[in-house]
Amino acid sequence: MSAPSLLRAPAGAHPLRPRAASLVVAAALLLAGCAGGGDAAGPTEAAPSPGADGGYPVTVDNCGTEVTLEAPPERIVTVKSSTTELVLALGAADRLVGAAFLDGPFPPDLAEAGADVPILSERAPSAEVVLAAEPDLVFAGWESHFAADTIGDRAELADLGVATYVAPAACQGDGYRPDPLTFDDVFAHVLEAGELLGAREEAAALVEEQRAALAEVEPSTAGLTALWYSSGSDTPFVGGGSGAPQMIMDAVGLENIAADIDAGWGSIGWETVAAAEPDVVVLVDSAWNTAEHKIEVLESNPVTAALPAVAEGRYLVVEFAATEAGVRNVDAVASLAQQLAEVPLP
Amino acid sequence: MTTVRVPPAASAARTGVVARPRGSRVPWLLVGLAVLVVSLLLALVVGPASVAGPAPITPGDVLASAWHHVSAWLAERGLPVAVAENPLSRVRDAIIWEGRAPRAVAAVLVGAGLALCGVVLQAATRNPLADPYLLGISSGAALGAVAVLVLGVAVPLPVAAFAGAVLALLATLGLAGIGGRLTATRAVLAGVAVGQAAAAGVSFVIFSTAQGDSYRDILGWLMGTFGAVSWSSVLIAAVAVVVLGGALLGFGRTLDAFSFGDVAATALGVHVVRTRWLLLVLSALLTGALVSVSGAIGFVGLTVPHVVRLLLGPGRSGNAAVARTSAAVGGVFLLWADTVARTAFAPLDVPVGVLTALLGAPVFAILLMRSRRRGEA
Repeated sequence: MSAPSLLRAPAGAHPLRPRAASLVVAAALLLAGCAGGGDAAGPTEAAPSPGADGGYPVTVDNCGTEVTLEAPPERIVTVKSSTTELVLALGAADRLVGAAFLDGPFPPDLAEAGADVPILSERAPSAEVVLAAEPDLVFAGWESHFAADTIGDRAELADLGVATYVAPAACQGDGYRPDPLTFDDVFAHVLEAGELLGAREEAAALVEEQRAALAEVEPSTAGLTALWYSSGSDTPFVGGGSGAPQMIMDAVGLENIAADIDAGWGSIGWETVAAAEPDVVVLVDSAWNTAEHKIEVLESNPVTAALPAVAEGRYLVVEFAATEAGVRNVDAVASLAQQLAEVPLP
Repeated sequence: MTTVRVPPAASAARTGVVARPRGSRVPWLLVGLAVLVVSLLLALVVGPASVAGPAPITPGDVLASAWHHVSAWLAERGLPVAVAENPLSRVRDAIIWEGRAPRAVAAVLVGAGLALCGVVLQAATRNPLADPYLLGISSGAALGAVAVLVLGVAVPLPVAAFAGAVLALLATLGLAGIGGRLTATRAVLAGVAVGQAAAAGVSFVIFSTAQGDSYRDILGWLMGTFGAVSWSSVLIAAVAVVVLGGALLGFGRTLDAFSFGDVAATALGVHVVRTRWLLLVLSALLTGALVSVSGAIGFVGLTVPHVVRLLLGPGRSGNAAVARTSAAVGGVFLLWADTVARTAFAPLDVPVGVLTALLGAPVFAILLMRSRRRGEA
């Protein structure tokens, strides 16, 4: 999300028709800036095998940018919850000098580790805020965080001695965008981050643990369909066929009614939702668009109010921060599977 | 139209274009109604639920379900009609009659209202670039909606959007009226100022509170969508269009007088300042009500009046005729635009404002080129 573009847009619009046009431009820029969050995942290059020096230097191809670390990073700044939580889960909290743009509170198992992490910015941070923390690695959740008008161009940051790393699941370029995202991608991402952070063993153990937890989940075999309702009320913004929502629903054994959207997320009409008659609705709970609010929207819209899933309250709730590729996806699967077992089914 | 002659006719006479004699009386009202009804029927029978899903809704299903409702309604009133069976399930019935139907009607009403406001404002300010959002109304409405969405103010969204529109209008008129008469130029400049300020406010609120995918709710207000239209929003639009639009339609000749300039209009017996206030307020209220239903849909109010003037030709360019025809064309145009927006990119639902701008910009460019070729300004 690029602040300067947003603020610049209205001023740059044509003086004769500035109103609607500038708003649309602002929205479009905002949309473009945010798009990075959605479509997750890309194949990540295998890093060189570890040597006696802990494997350094480590070089990875990250969304098409070559990132080389000569030594374990000592001052890490993270942007977004997914990246912050991964660093915490890898046991590197003591090297985390700042986090920004968090989607919500840390999950209980990471709350203690994350309690003392300085929050640099509630929203998308500016270059100055990030650089003031003197990081040697900035680990961002979206590619759009590294642009000239946000934290900074990746090459320019590298010149300053600041390495940059984007969650590989958020890579947008052809060949890097995971299509579709799988848990193997997510685990490879954890391992790669472990190599960069000098936490290979922790990463391997974390992946081991997550694989085991995932294996314990028994996917539903009832052939249930689901709507993954992420945001929006006029036009719902829903989980599509190639991102983390699809991956999580696959693991839970839910069939995504919007699987034919070739993206992580997309805007579909309420008619499409109603026509598909989902058996359950997965509500993404966030501070800005709570699950309760979504239930209100579904119940007040006459088209969706007629849906059996709405009439009978067949809702599953997942936290927003767990819906982008990261260490909370497996927990989200387990939680949804458990909720599904408790929901009164048709 | 005996005392007031409009400039296009005059310029046409200068350039030697002779108005076609309109001897053959084409029943335009009937043609227009037929086009409207056919468009509405088409909008009712197309949609994602008619091409996908386990049981696609066929046009026959729609008609049978319509007859079910009509027959049930008649039977309820004691008429000897057998209630026909509804071929649609409860959900599918709601898709048609709570989804597509109000959406189509709202698109017609909003399109008609916006085009009408465009005609009025272009004439009242003598500015061909005037549109319904001239007075900062769309930005004001967006600011109201965004404030509610993002700051969590406990007010229904349409009410907030309308309140924002009215506040923007008051600010514009206040600004334009400070220390002088409400001239066309002052109104336009004040509208630009207020619109810019409100747009900056929207951007600031969005930017300073943007989190995750929170901007999704705001997009509809900025770009315009009928995605969540219900019969109650249709009622709002209908009342606004009938009452305010009806009142505006009565000003045709006054608008013709405005086109000669304030001095000439005064000479023709128009109380210029008072009438301009009234016209601006009426169209702003109408626009505010429409924006509260659909968000700010661009280019309809700007483009349709120009297209209609071109279609009608110089012989029938009185503002009354242009206003009536623009309302009809605007309604049908927006209905088609929305039908395309919700079907052509299925399963994606594209904001209709994106489509109207996409269609409106080239149309406007063509109009510009044609007017240049004809030697007009």
